Amino acid sequence: MNRPSSLKSRLWTGAGVAVLGALLYALSSVFVPGAGAKAEKKTEKRVEKKPEKKKLSGAELYSMHCNRCHPERYPTERTAAQWKTILLHMRVRANLPAEQSQMILKYLQDNSGR
Amino acid sequence: MCCALAVPLPVGTAAAIDDQQFNELKDLVTKLGQKIEKQDLRIEQLEKTHAQDAQVHAQDQKTHEQDQRKIQELQQKLEETQQAVSNVQTAAIAVPVEPLPRVPLDEATVNHNFSILGDAEFQYAKTSGQHGTFLFADFAPIFLYRGGEKVLFEAGFDFGLQNNAPNSPGATTTINLSFAQLDYLMNDYVTLVAGDMVLPLGTYSERTAGWLNKIPDDPLPRDLLPGAGVGAQLRGAVPLGESGKLINYSVWGVNGASSADGTGNADQLDLGGNVGLRSDNAVANLHGKPSGGARVGWFMPFKPHYDLELGLSGQSGEWDNAGQHLWSAGVLDASLHLGSTVEVKGEYIRSCYGSDDHGNVRPEGWWLQASYKLVGLNLDWPVINNLELVNRYDSIHDGLGTRTRRYTLGYIYYFSNTLLFEGGYEFLHSNDPTQKDQLIFQLSYGF
Repeated sequence: MNRPSSLKSRLWTGAGVAVLGALLYALSSVFVPGAGAKAEKKTEKRVEKKPEKKKLSGAELYSMHCNRCHPERYPTERTAAQWKTILLHMRVRANLPAEQSQMILKYLQDNSGR
Repeated sequence: MCCALAVPLPVGTAAAIDDQQFNELKDLVTKLGQKIEKQDLRIEQLEKTHAQDAQVHAQDQKTHEQDQRKIQELQQKLEETQQAVSNVQTAAIAVPVEPLPRVPLDEATVNHNFSILGDAEFQYAKTSGQHGTFLFADFAPIFLYRGGEKVLFEAGFDFGLQNNAPNSPGATTTINLSFAQLDYLMNDYVTLVAGDMVLPLGTYSERTAGWLNKIPDDPLPRDLLPGAGVGAQLRGAVPLGESGKLINYSVWGVNGASSADGTGNADQLDLGGNVGLRSDNAVANLHGKPSGGARVGWFMPFKPHYDLELGLSGQSGEWDNAGQHLWSAGVLDASLHLGSTVEVKGEYIRSCYGSDDHGNVRPEGWWLQASYKLVGLNLDWPVINNLELVNRYDSIHDGLGTRTRRYTLGYIYYFSNTLLFEGGYEFLHSNDPTQKDQLIFQLSYGF
């Protein structure tokens, strides 16, 4: 006796789930940016070039190399002439490349105490 | 008076004047005379006052004239000044400004080429089962003298203090020359170093020792390596592109390890005593051949504060006086930074040397240290933000049967970027009964 009504209810439930799924899919393609265009994107050829890496500044090199071994020293702690001597020491001690060492020196001297 | 008397009297009435009238007239004339005298006096005073006024006026006039002359002079001077300023401005516009010639003070003056770096430490230690003690005060200056653009002389000293007890009273101040080297920049890629050099066996000696170390003690396996050596070295770095990547290298030759008593016995290995001048003043290496060593490192930054460096280094050479045995060591070093708050570094050290009494001895050890700055937690608490937590594991096997493992939990409190208060507790596990747990505090200052 209960069989037909149970089948009917299952059919309705199945139809409801299908409608709900279709609705969610439709909503997702509206509200999720680019969700609908995913398939299209796959077929597009990637013509964008990788952005070229910019040359690091003296401040960035200073931050990169000096803080590896010791707490940051402020450029104002030394005079321009003292930085020149100290950078020569650090270039040897930390094996810094010549050009990078010069850029760090320039940064420190430009912001030095005197 | 006569005129005054004659004028008012009519001629026809003179005979009819009696005495009374005459007296009245006389009084009147007398009064008039007095009045006239008073008027004369007044006129005289007025004339006097007028004369004085005239004098004052004359003086005022004179002062006024002087003021006018002064004003004219000042106006003239002002005009001249304005003209001079105008002339200068015109000349400044007409002639392009040239920078003043720079006096090369830093080249010519010794004081500008001379700098002092270094550190100072003050330590308190409490070893398990012993009295706690203020262990030492250490002052380690580094003197730098730059000779022009390419030459640097640098020397590091270490001043320490040691009890003479129980053998004698007092204390001894020790002064050690940590290194003394001359650096010459041959070109952008090669630097010649000569003297008593800090050796790049791993990176600890060059970049982590002293106040740079985040734990007061050195890692145990560093005892397997010499810190410095007398000799010569070529070193440099080659950048790989513009992103900061680089390869660095060092190649050196030094007197190398030696034997403390000249024999080839294993316990006489001396890693730091062979400086070329013997105690009997003979100028000679303590064995026949010098040692050779090299390091190559690869530094790969991802962005500022994010980087990885890997290095491989080694050294080998005779160590006993007879030249029968080799001492060799290899080090693998690594250092990783993840942001400005996380640092992980470590070294694996393996050594091998022949001996008369123990055959081939193979000491080895490794250490790994990780630290985290609590400022990374973004808590707005000043004490927390100045703290860095450090822990390290180090292990050493001396190749002669002694094994020691140590785990250290520590911290650093940064009073400033150069003044540090460090502390740590060392948990030791060793088959050497003299090795015990230790609590250490250290105040460090880097300058």
